[in-house]
Amino acid sequence: MDQSVIIVIPAHNEEHTVTAVIHELRRVAPTVDRVIVNDCSSDATGEILDALGEKQLKLIHNLGYGQALQTGLKYALLKGYDVIVTMDADGQHRPQDVPPLLAALQESGADMVIGSRFCNGQTYDTPMDRRLGQLLFSYLTQVLLGQRIYDTSSGFKAIRTTACQAIVSGSFMDFHIESIVQLKLAGFQIVETPVKVQERTHGRSMHSIASVFQYPIKTILLTLAAIMDAYLVKRQHGR
Amino acid sequence: MSIQGILFIDVLGVGFILLILNLVRTKRLHIAYATIWFLAVVGLMMMVSIPPVLAILPRMMGAIYPASAVSLLAFVFIFLVLIFFSMQLTAISARQVEIIQALALRELLAQDTDLQDLRIKLAGAKESENPANPLSQP
Repeated sequence: MDQSVIIVIPAHNEEHTVTAVIHELRRVAPTVDRVIVNDCSSDATGEILDALGEKQLKLIHNLGYGQALQTGLKYALLKGYDVIVTMDADGQHRPQDVPPLLAALQESGADMVIGSRFCNGQTYDTPMDRRLGQLLFSYLTQVLLGQRIYDTSSGFKAIRTTACQAIVSGSFMDFHIESIVQLKLAGFQIVETPVKVQERTHGRSMHSIASVFQYPIKTILLTLAAIMDAYLVKRQHGR
Repeated sequence: MSIQGILFIDVLGVGFILLILNLVRTKRLHIAYATIWFLAVVGLMMMVSIPPVLAILPRMMGAIYPASAVSLLAFVFIFLVLIFFSMQLTAISARQVEIIQALALRELLAQDTDLQDLRIKLAGAKESENPANPLSQP
């Protein structure tokens, strides 16, 4: 790829997995820059990253996934990269899928490629409540956008900075379905490419019992706000 | 409303105003918020103390008793104030997030600049060590 690329990795207490992720990334994508957003880890994640000589955005207070990712995206935009890859530090996203993700972005000419667990008939073992939520949001994209996005909550994406600029200022984003809706309504092209996701071996998932109820409501509200925003922007430009 | 009721609310109102003044004096309440509470207390006192207002208000709101109309108004006021304070909290937490992000970005961007300066210095040192290098010739 002749464009400048950076991989943004939000990390919170990932001391058991971050080393393997970095080593693997160095092996499979040696020319691609990386920045890890250390979301106020209380374990040895920061020290490990320092020892590895990795670029680190050190957040002095835990901001959560969305805003940690947003910090990394802001850094990438400030440094003028053309393409940003986002992935998790927990080892679930396989570094060897980064080159195919970038290839899919280049070949499709899309503005965002989502590394999808469910497209092309793929399956991924998730708890029933989360699978139901994923299905609901997937069908919602079909209804709202006329294009079905099978994996709306994937954190493994490649995105062009032109598209990133359109969503980076969002205050409460998780960069899931709400950003997909916002981008599609703004006229950006989104495609999915199949990726394999590994089981989490260490640490705790960010999904708690409370999030089973909180996440869908929050996401629906954000999606409605994105639709309202797109409608108002369109009306403003129409005048 | 009975005279006792009106007197009770007025005395309570004066007490609230004194409390607000004391909080402002001791810098524990911002003057902007103090204004809102002051207006609310004075509004309530006027509403119950001026008989024509107390007579018109329930009729306008479709309430049978004046006390119901006052309670409904109080509920609306509390609801609006809670939304206002939620907005204030949101603005404060958004500012906090911005500051935390800016700190992290500044630190890394400064490191990047230091690294770039070091690279330029190293390149300069190499050039001065090896002046025969055709690339270093003007």
